[in-house]
Amino acid sequence: MNIADIAKSVIKSINNGDTLASIGLPAANFHEGTVQLATVLLGKKLGGIYITTSRPSSHIVTELEEAKANLSDLYFVDLVSMTVGGNTDDARTLFIESPTMLESILLNITLLERRLKSKRRFVLFDSINGLSIYSEPKVLREFINVLGNSMRIKEIYSMLLTVKEQTDEELAAALELLSDTMIGV
Amino acid sequence: MAKKDLAKPVNLDPRGGRPREKCVTYIEGIDRILNGGIPVGNIVLLAGTVGSGKTTLAMEFLINGAKNGETCCYISVTEPSSKMLSNLQTYGFFDDSLVKEGRLNIFDLTVINDRLGVERLDGTYTAKDMEALLGAFEDIVDELGVTRLVVDSITAVCYQLPDRGSIRNFIFRLSQFLSTFGCTTMLISETVVDSNVQTYSIFGVEEAVADGVVLMGNIVRQGDLLRSLQVVKMRGAKHSRARHLIELTPVGLAVVPLLKWGQDGGQAFT
Repeated sequence: MNIADIAKSVIKSINNGDTLASIGLPAANFHEGTVQLATVLLGKKLGGIYITTSRPSSHIVTELEEAKANLSDLYFVDLVSMTVGGNTDDARTLFIESPTMLESILLNITLLERRLKSKRRFVLFDSINGLSIYSEPKVLREFINVLGNSMRIKEIYSMLLTVKEQTDEELAAALELLSDTMIGV
Repeated sequence: MAKKDLAKPVNLDPRGGRPREKCVTYIEGIDRILNGGIPVGNIVLLAGTVGSGKTTLAMEFLINGAKNGETCCYISVTEPSSKMLSNLQTYGFFDDSLVKEGRLNIFDLTVINDRLGVERLDGTYTAKDMEALLGAFEDIVDELGVTRLVVDSITAVCYQLPDRGSIRNFIFRLSQFLSTFGCTTMLISETVVDSNVQTYSIFGVEEAVADGVVLMGNIVRQGDLLRSLQVVKMRGAKHSRARHLIELTPVGLAVVPLLKWGQDGGQAFT
């Protein structure tokens, strides 16, 4: 499944009234895929929150700008920049000190959600695998469960991105149990 | 059974009864934990270790009350009120006009002591001093019409009382008149962690007299410190007893349930 097909499936899933999708992308073009996906959603006039555990938000912003994406209603939760001593001065981004502070992700989504102007909103979680570097599988599974159900209550369309090659059976099963739809996996 | 009876939901609250009037904290997560707020007139012991966010929570409680038209009062025992006022400027949710309009009143206990003539060289109150101090607190609450009060910290006051009996008597008397005035109060208790156990107070008396105990602390997760909050007791309210994570944000305190498996390695609370 290429990125264009994945984007189409996501739009279809939104139109079907789903609230939670797990999306598997191949490692070879994972970053390009996430940027393309966000660009498509922003082009459909959705506002969103991009949670990054894989690379600094400043890099993603640059790539989205190069892709001519409309960033007027996009905000970031960044779990990378503070950990690696990167740039932490950006009005559209909330920075989390450490990737072990999983609950802070939920808090920051709540804070940013109030800023979103668009009626149709999304949360793009890039990526679940990024968190597994710092958290044990049992903690991660609990977090996914809490995150997924929080997003359901908030009625925000949420995408949990995974790197296909790094997702073991146990994690895949937890995602399948939670998600309305599995795309690209 | 009539059709309309079927449509009526069954009340599943095992306590039944009528809920007490609540003092809404306007701190979203806290009101959810307390099922609407603190019962009006309750004395709540806000116990916690250093840096756990006790003063910030108490201040937000007062500021939110003041913003909603109540008269609120903060009695500073451990630091000068001028320093507290300058610290307040750093909170995004603070508004200067609340102080100017008399909605938020900040008093310095050392100034109160000076005026009462109860400052002792050995740092210990006599029974007469204690009466004078209770009288001063009562006057402040009565004359200003205070509905929210914070004493920061009750631990520092207790250090000046001669024994545990006096501490119990002081807090009991304080809670009696505050309850009569319908003044909801937070007494800040400084605690320490010893052998991975956190107590509710230094003297072990305050929690027995208080109507509520809210425990704040730090949890170590892979070397990182996370702030936690747990309501241990709250008379007159059905409340959550789960441990929550709190964060100090520019718009105030934010609260979210703590991940259960994420508590491994955390400090034990008793």
